[in-house]
Amino acid sequence: MPVPPVPLDDAPAGWAALMRFLRSAGFRFALLFAVVFIGASALFALVLWYATAGSLDRQTAAALRTDTLGLMERWREGGPGALSEAVAERLSGDVENTAIYLLTGPEGQRLAGNLDRWPAGAEDDGAWITGIVERDGSRVEARIFTRDLGEGYRLAVGRDVEEKQRLRALLAEGFGWSALGAVVFAMAGAAVLRRALENRLRPAAMTARAIAAGDLSRRVPVAGRRDEFDRLGEGMNDMLDRIDRLMEAVRGVSDAIAHDLRTPIARARAKLEEALADSGDPDSLRAAMEQGIADLDHISRVFGALLRIAEAEAGARRAAFAPLDLVPMLADVAEFYGAAAEARGQALSVDLPERLELVGDRDLLAQAAGNLLDNALKFTPEGGQVRLTARAIGRDRVEIAVEDSGPGLSPEDRARAGERFFRADASRATPGSGLGLSLVQAVARQHGGELVLQEASPPPGLRAAMLLGPG
Amino acid sequence: MRALAFAFLLAAPALADGNEPVPRVTTDSREYCAELAERLAALPASHGEPVRSMAEEGRRLCETGHPRVGVAKLRRAIRAARVAE
Repeated sequence: MPVPPVPLDDAPAGWAALMRFLRSAGFRFALLFAVVFIGASALFALVLWYATAGSLDRQTAAALRTDTLGLMERWREGGPGALSEAVAERLSGDVENTAIYLLTGPEGQRLAGNLDRWPAGAEDDGAWITGIVERDGSRVEARIFTRDLGEGYRLAVGRDVEEKQRLRALLAEGFGWSALGAVVFAMAGAAVLRRALENRLRPAAMTARAIAAGDLSRRVPVAGRRDEFDRLGEGMNDMLDRIDRLMEAVRGVSDAIAHDLRTPIARARAKLEEALADSGDPDSLRAAMEQGIADLDHISRVFGALLRIAEAEAGARRAAFAPLDLVPMLADVAEFYGAAAEARGQALSVDLPERLELVGDRDLLAQAAGNLLDNALKFTPEGGQVRLTARAIGRDRVEIAVEDSGPGLSPEDRARAGERFFRADASRATPGSGLGLSLVQAVARQHGGELVLQEASPPPGLRAAMLLGPG
Repeated sequence: MRALAFAFLLAAPALADGNEPVPRVTTDSREYCAELAERLAALPASHGEPVRSMAEEGRRLCETGHPRVGVAKLRRAIRAARVAE
């Protein structure tokens, strides 16, 4: 009756531990090592056996074949008498005392040689047999080759191979012990390999467990050997640092959203409450509703900007990438903001080349360039200068820069200006959400570039440059 | 590997099965000693040294119950005589 498989969860603890061990990568690597080691040893032993014991067999066979050919030649030359004499002569010169010959006649009678009877199992012409003969009272192993000579005459030529068999047995014993040694070494090597693998992987596994348990500060210790395990640990640490930064950013954005949207929502609520309390006056009711709508529009714009930044950062809009000439697009943006600059008594100058080719998202690039100009105009005092330039840097990179004569930013603020909702202390009084430069930075990164903020030349002022394309 | 080695050893079939008598080598005997002595005597170089003394020792060994060693000695004597020719 077949035994149903035992689920791992219900299995006894020892069995589960054994299954875990058998399924572990360490065991599999160790097994692979043992198999390869034993396989290589077996191959080596086979080659050695072929070259030693096999060679002895081949030598004996070759000697028997040559001897038989010579005797058959004598048979053809002189018949049974000549062959008998040849056999006797060879036996008389057999100093090694290993030769075996037997020539029998048509009746099976022995005509020459040193075997008293025809060996069993050697009835066929050209038969090779290996077996036992009796010599001086003891049984020894012999190899015999037989030929039918015709007319009922048969010839058996053999050699006593007892010495060779003894040597062969010694070789076999040596191989047996070597095989045992190879298995022991393979097992020991496999165990060492498994232990080494386990030791090197343990820090990474422990770190992963600690992080899964909630301790995100843990990092994989690197041994400093610059090997695959160190590279794995460094890779994991880089990944964890990146996750840490992302989580920090998400936390920052969540805090900023909660903080920056609380004010317009609270203001809209207060206005609506006020209008409800003073509902008798249609004008103040209308004014309150308009203010509420304006506040909600602002909230909607903030969310729209956040969505666009998220899309740019995720590369979701890469499908909209197409070859374009930046010059007409930038001219349109400059013209749009030119009117606002004129109204505030600011001078907006534009310096663009004839053509500036790029593969990118036209709408996002226009939005980013608009944000740079909007920022510059917002922080430049009346009568100030704002300058929009664009140029190619090398073959693949393009720079769109906006330089103003405003108060500029401190180096610390410049380092944080790309963060969502970041607003420098000096700009708290200026309307804005703190998302403009975040979008510019996200768009620049989406186009393989970056946002570079520098002090204007000559100061004071800010030079915001959007670098697009690989550097 | 060990099993393989034993397989090599055991692969050889027996010359004689349980019912058949085992063939016997007849050249380790006093009769063969005499045959070799006769064959040696027919060789022209059989009276020279060291053939003669080797043959003498071979005959002596055969007569004292050591035909196998005696045969080996006589064979050496025959080979030496053939070389001397």
